[in-house]
Amino acid sequence: MASTEVTGQAGTVAPARTESHTTRSGRSPSGAERERRWSGHGKPALLFLAPFLLLYLLFIIGPAIYGLVMSFFHTSMVNPGLGEFAGFGNYAEVLSSSDFWASLWHTIWFTILTTPPLIVLALVFALLAERARRGRWFFRLAFFLPYILPSAVVALIWIWMYTPELGLLSRAVTSLGFAEPDWLGDPDFAMVSLAVTTVWWTLGFNFVLYLAGLQEVPRELYEASAIDGAGPWQQIRLITVPLLARTTSLVVVLQIIASLKVFDQMYIMTQGGPNFATRSVLQYIFDIGFTDFRSGAAAAASTLFFIVVLAVSAFWLVMTRRQEPEL
Amino acid sequence: MAILANKDVQPLTAAQARHHAATADRRTRLFNRCCTGVLIAFALLWLVPLAWALDTSLKPNGETVNPTWVIENPTLASFQTLLAQGDIINWYAASFIISALSAAGTVVTASLAAYALSRMRFRYRWLTFWIILMGIMVPRQVLVVPQFQELGSINLLNTYWAVILPAIPIAIAVFVFKQFFDGIPKELDEAARIDGAGFFHIYRRIVLPLARPAVSAVTIFSFVWAWNDLLWPLIALSNPEIMTIPVGLATVQGTYGIRYADTMASAILGALPLVLVFLLFQRRIVEGIAGTGLKG
Amino acid sequence: MTGPPPPRSALTRRGLLRASLLGAGAAALTGCSSVSAGLLSTPPDPRSVAYWNLFGGGDGVRMRQMENGYRKANPNIALRSVTLTWGNPYYTKLALSTVGDRPPDVAASHLTRMKTLVQGNLLQELHPEDLERHGITAEKFTSRAWEASLVDGKIYAIPIDTHPFVLYYNTDICARAGLLDADGDLKPIEGPDAFQDALSKAKQVTGQYGATHGITSPSSPPWQLFQTLYAQLGGEVLADDGARIVLDDAKAKQVLDYLRMLTVEKRLMPGSVDYQGAIALFASGAAGFHLNGGWEITTFQEAKMPFSMALVPNIFGGPYKVQADSHTLVLPVRPEKDRAALDRALGFVRSMLDQSLTWAKGGHVPTWLPVANGEAYQTLTPQSQYAAAAASAVYDPPAWYSGSGSNFVNIMGSAVGAVEAGDLSPADAIAQIRSKLAVLAATASPV
Repeated sequence: MASTEVTGQAGTVAPARTESHTTRSGRSPSGAERERRWSGHGKPALLFLAPFLLLYLLFIIGPAIYGLVMSFFHTSMVNPGLGEFAGFGNYAEVLSSSDFWASLWHTIWFTILTTPPLIVLALVFALLAERARRGRWFFRLAFFLPYILPSAVVALIWIWMYTPELGLLSRAVTSLGFAEPDWLGDPDFAMVSLAVTTVWWTLGFNFVLYLAGLQEVPRELYEASAIDGAGPWQQIRLITVPLLARTTSLVVVLQIIASLKVFDQMYIMTQGGPNFATRSVLQYIFDIGFTDFRSGAAAAASTLFFIVVLAVSAFWLVMTRRQEPEL
Repeated sequence: MAILANKDVQPLTAAQARHHAATADRRTRLFNRCCTGVLIAFALLWLVPLAWALDTSLKPNGETVNPTWVIENPTLASFQTLLAQGDIINWYAASFIISALSAAGTVVTASLAAYALSRMRFRYRWLTFWIILMGIMVPRQVLVVPQFQELGSINLLNTYWAVILPAIPIAIAVFVFKQFFDGIPKELDEAARIDGAGFFHIYRRIVLPLARPAVSAVTIFSFVWAWNDLLWPLIALSNPEIMTIPVGLATVQGTYGIRYADTMASAILGALPLVLVFLLFQRRIVEGIAGTGLKG
Repeated sequence: MTGPPPPRSALTRRGLLRASLLGAGAAALTGCSSVSAGLLSTPPDPRSVAYWNLFGGGDGVRMRQMENGYRKANPNIALRSVTLTWGNPYYTKLALSTVGDRPPDVAASHLTRMKTLVQGNLLQELHPEDLERHGITAEKFTSRAWEASLVDGKIYAIPIDTHPFVLYYNTDICARAGLLDADGDLKPIEGPDAFQDALSKAKQVTGQYGATHGITSPSSPPWQLFQTLYAQLGGEVLADDGARIVLDDAKAKQVLDYLRMLTVEKRLMPGSVDYQGAIALFASGAAGFHLNGGWEITTFQEAKMPFSMALVPNIFGGPYKVQADSHTLVLPVRPEKDRAALDRALGFVRSMLDQSLTWAKGGHVPTWLPVANGEAYQTLTPQSQYAAAAASAVYDPPAWYSGSGSNFVNIMGSAVGAVEAGDLSPADAIAQIRSKLAVLAATASPV
């Protein structure tokens, strides 16, 4: 029973749900009385909150504010202090830098390449798995196992898969009679290769989300529709997919946000190359911040990137809020 | 609605319905079997890269250039070389200590905070709540530049703490706990309070034991996140002796030549602990994701 | 599916978890030194030398031999050596560790990267009197490398070699192509047509390619080839420590057109092949020539293939020039000043210099004259056949964003590689180089 509570969908939706929860309990008859009995827990509350809040302020909020300040200075990684005041210089520089825009585009391009297959394939696999009577543990193992591996391991394995002439994929493609693409060496193809790797790596997460979503589709609907003569395809199209709309919207947003934060695959597999074709925003920040020692400019680029992610999150929050009453 | 209709109509056309149901059943069974077949094919495809890595790691280095699945001279030499060099043992230790302490820290601090938010009334409760909510929105990755300066100024760079401390305050963990605590009937702890139990006692003896699914989900996830994180440990840990497994694999290169077997052996060794975690906690992990949508 | 897990398996799981936690705890307590360094930030053992380098391939093998030589000679000092990924990541790590107060005692650095580290106050100045205690003095080095490694006349780095870009050739293939002289050495090749002709002949023998060099990744080999040819035309890329771009478009286009002709038009070289792939193709006999730094000699020796090495031909006339760099040993700034540690570090440097012959076997031209002028090196073939390159070495232009594996090399090499792969026209490549360099040139040095 307890676990169904957690199954109440996405922690990210929590604020909306908890809010409604508290207002509900506030409205309940015993609410006022309870409020009186529970009021004024300032001291214990502080003690309970202190460990988390302390670390949170020190390592999340603090750096966030410091980073914002730094973005207005010519701070150098190798010199102490903030350095010279730069005004909006760093922002102007980053915004006028074609490298920044190129890396932002690469990140978006990566998002475009990975999001649809990650959603469609995960949904298809989950639908297929739902129909399989036995061996669901095996599918979960096969699809989900890669997700739990460190990016470095995934990268090493796929670099080997993509190795020209020797790699498994190269040989698979040539044995089918195609010319072998230069998987990671062709600037037009490298991002596709990285996307393939990423789909393989992270599909399991969406697969599991969809499997859980499918659990919540009432059995009776299928049985009833079967009696009405609906074939499996109609069942999927008319019952399952529409009822999974909420899961899909969750998957889409988590997927987009995760894709925007891509760094590991590129850093290890292509170092942002060839010819910068796969340099992501985070690697751009890493490069100017830690290779060029330009902490101030890197902080400005970080702030801009944060705004992009925030915009996507906010957009989703607004969308789901609007959706809520219908569901 | 369909169910209601069904109930009304059934007695009238029972035979017809049975006929319909039987054909539909047969069709469905056939369809299901096809589905299973397709899915098995895909699942096997998904396992190929891992199998190929394992296969390569068991070859002698020289044999990796003639690329077949057949291993002519199977050997554990690559694994022995790696373990003998010792780097990977240090990385295991680092990854294990960092991930375990991060996970423990997250579970303790986040559940305490969530308990306060769920069960106590105090001023600025909503403010606190919203400040923590904001944390979910901040991607860790945008903080690496200032974090580097900050941890450098307190001389914690190149220690495990540089990775552990920032990994502890995970805002979403507070929400997972709070959501769970909110679902536990308040009557339970109110009764305990009337009996004179303190908040900590209730938290420790009543609420936390009931919240075991949340505890295990948060533990496993913060452990796996800490284990797999690359960007920040890559910046904070530059001494190869204390690198975590992903950082070590990404930065320290093998000794020489084209040594695909050694590389794959290091990948397998790097993957092994998490594969074990997964096999042991498969159900918990899957339930955790399904229930919370936690994503790195 | 969502039912509670059976209690027995839960117990076992918990038991396992507890056992592994205990195991980790035990490992931590039994004094794994890395663990105490990580948890307690304990300073490293004073009787040890930590040494970082970026040597993979055959270099890694030689460096290990030299480290073992040092260990044998200094059994009471623990040498802790680490090899990190080559290029930008290495220098990023070196800088991060120095800023983070845990630098190695000694680190390898390319000469062309060392200057930026000096400007960032990341390296210790080496005083002649300290160096003399270990017998390290200026006149014992080849002058080109020694002078190139001074910063404002001060010593921050000890050069251990010059490593030029060289030409490898498969002696079997070249013999069959009629490219060898009576002694079995490569006949001199001079001028663009002669080089193209040599590659065509080799291609006729192999049926695949005339030559290979790494093009797509990493970006350094295309830059090294470009720089060699461009410098032979007398071209320069940067001036005023990188603040000004002096790229000569006509000369750059001449070089790029030539490279494009070799790869895209005549298919004498594969246009999209990465570093390892280029090596593998040459090692498997698919090409008669291979252009690379001298350091891959060990790889080809291990492959047991018939090959030799020569200077990269003087293709574009002019005085002979060839792209090169030097490996140097540097001492990063440490939080504590300790004369004993300094002497240990310098003792290690001296030991590396004394073992220069081992290093030279790996294809590098030694700078330490006692070895460079010794008979053992003079008779070492094919390594000594291109020793003359050291005197004609062209180092990467000085700039805060320049040097081996830097953004500068990345920008140059990526554009050149894209031309060779047929993805960019020479004119577009030059435009791309100009626009990317302009950003860096306009940025004030952060160090």
